[in-house]
Order: sequence, then structure tokens, then C-alpha cells
Amino acid sequence: MSVSALEAFLARIYVDQKAREKFLENRDSEAVKAGLSAGEVEAVRHIDQVGLELLAVSLERKRQKHHSKRR
Amino acid sequence: MAVEVNKMTIRKDCFGLGWRPQLAAGILSNLDRIDLVEVIADDFFSASRHERRALQTLATQVPITLHGVSLGLASSVPVNRRRLDFIARLCEEVKPLSWSEHLAFVRGGGVEIGHLAAPPRCSETIDGTLSNLTLAYNIVGVAPQVENVATLIDPPYSDYDEGSWVSEIISNSKSDLLLDLHNLYANSLNFDFNPLDFISQIPADRVQGIHLAGGKWVGRANARRLLDDHLHDVPDPVYALLEEVGARTEPGLMVILERDGDFPSIETLLDQLERARRAIARGRMRSKINLRREDAA
Repeated sequence: MSVSALEAFLARIYVDQKAREKFLENRDSEAVKAGLSAGEVEAVRHIDQVGLELLAVSLERKRQKHHSKRR
Repeated sequence: MAVEVNKMTIRKDCFGLGWRPQLAAGILSNLDRIDLVEVIADDFFSASRHERRALQTLATQVPITLHGVSLGLASSVPVNRRRLDFIARLCEEVKPLSWSEHLAFVRGGGVEIGHLAAPPRCSETIDGTLSNLTLAYNIVGVAPQVENVATLIDPPYSDYDEGSWVSEIISNSKSDLLLDLHNLYANSLNFDFNPLDFISQIPADRVQGIHLAGGKWVGRANARRLLDDHLHDVPDPVYALLEEVGARTEPGLMVILERDGDFPSIETLLDQLERARRAIARGRMRSKINLRREDAA
């Protein structure tokens, strides 16, 4: 399995709040469901949660700013 | 499509600002103190012919460097050829001094992240990035400078530290480094490493561009991170890093101050550029003195 599955998984949990919450509730099963390799599952099991949550907030603010600029 | 960018050889350091509409009047009335401007290429992705002509006119007034934000070069996924064709066309129209992109991924599995994300620092993303850089070179005709990104999250599945991952990409491609010193500074504080170690890992002659910016702390006291938001003045430690880069490199750097909002007066920004000139000059002087000492010893 290519690391592209991991990139897709990260993109989803960075952007999608529900996906992120589900992942934080049950990291292994969500990672396995996404088709990640054993090594990738192990890596996301120990994901930097502080960074993940701060990144999600930052991205949400950027999207809101972008959206309001477009209106 | 291969195009020629401006082949003007820059032997002296050049100092400029990121082109933003709010700064346009201030920039155009101070071209004696600004050597170049950096234009966000993506802003012209769906621009009208009139807007593109305005950019060409700007390029006749001040040298331009083009900066991309949405290619997603640092990914195991191939970069979109249509976006590269667009960059090639813009380079052909504007004849910039150079063009650049980030070492980031910006989408995955059909999801647009909407900003720059640090990819897992592993051999697969190095290989993917190198393939994307080759494609970019083949289509645009000039290799992009590549920029290190700031990140709030320590990218999972990384078996390289940031310095060695970037160094591996630079060393195996035609791309030089656009070294964003605030991104480096923020990452060093957020993930507890010495930014000088990063700088010493990069071949000095491959550092061709510098970005300067500011940021702010976000998060709770015991779990905070420095966010590179481009809304604040350049902090002192970033000038210290710039001096260090000056001491290690030859003249010819393109130094860009990026400011995306909460704009201060143009004088304040020009003062920061002046401070950047002095930091590099100090570094260069330090390097000369050290060389003389070595010769005398």
C-alpha cells in the first residue's frame, strides 16, 4: 500500500471534524478501515493530538476567511 | 511546454515584499527601496486577460518572482499537469526571476486541505517529491525553488527529521531551497530542535531564497504552538537566523518579507527589510573576519 492512502487519511482527519472525532475515539480501527499499512496504523496511533487539534482549528479559520473573501 | 524565465544573473542580495493589493500603493511609491516583489501565482489561476496584462505591466516596473501555493509537490501523488501548464504559461508571460512552491501536500483522496500540510517525512514522499519536481522542470522549463513549511503537527510516519528530509530532496533535484526562516523558527520551537542544525544540513550554495514573516502562539499554556500566520512583525530570533545564513552563503539571495494582513505602514515593512539587509551584512562581515583569521593562523 502506498503512502498515498496515509496522505488521504490525514487530509480527511485534518479537514473533517466527524472523521477526526471518530478517529480520536478509536484510532486503530479507523486507520485499518482506511486501508493503512501496519506501520502507518502504528504511526497514527501515536499521532500528535495537540498538533492535530490546533491544525484543525487553524484550517477551519483559513476556510472561513477564504469563504468570506469570496462572498 | 518549456519556457524561459528571466535569466538575469543576480550577484547581489535582493530584498523585497510579497505583493498584496493592500500594499500596492506603498510598494509602487518606494521602488527605490524594494528590489523585487513576490507574486502569488495561484491568484492568477482564473484571472481575466486584463488582470494578467496588469501583472505583465507590473513586471516591467519591478522584477517579479512567482510563488505557488497549491501544487502539492511534496506528495506521493503526482502533481496535476494542468496546474503546471498554468505556471508555465504565467512564467512565459511574466518572465519572473524565479518561481517557487512549497514542500507540502495540499490534498489527498479527493479532499482539499485548503492549506499547506507537512507530509510524512519518509522515503516514499521523497521519491514522490522528486518525481513531481522532475515533471515541474520538464513542463515549466525551470526548476522551482522549494520552500520548507511550518507545521502545527508533527507529521506521523516520519523516519527523517525535517533537515535531512529537505536536504535529501535538494541534493537529488535541480531545485534550490527557498528557506523560510520563520517556518524553521516556528518548527524548532514547536518540536524542540535547534534551527542551526537544520541550516547546517542544507548545502549553503543551494539556499537561493529567504522568506521572513511573523506569527503568534496558539493553544493552551502547556500545549501551545507557534503559528506562522504572516500577521505579525518578524521576531528578533529570525533576524539572528538570517545573520547566520548570511555568514554561510554568497551574495545572490532573494529575501522576501511576507505580510498577509493586519498591515502596518509601508515604512514599518521597509524598516523590517532594512533590518534584514543589516542582518545579512553582519553575517557576511563575520564570515570575512573568520576567513581572515584562518588565513592569518
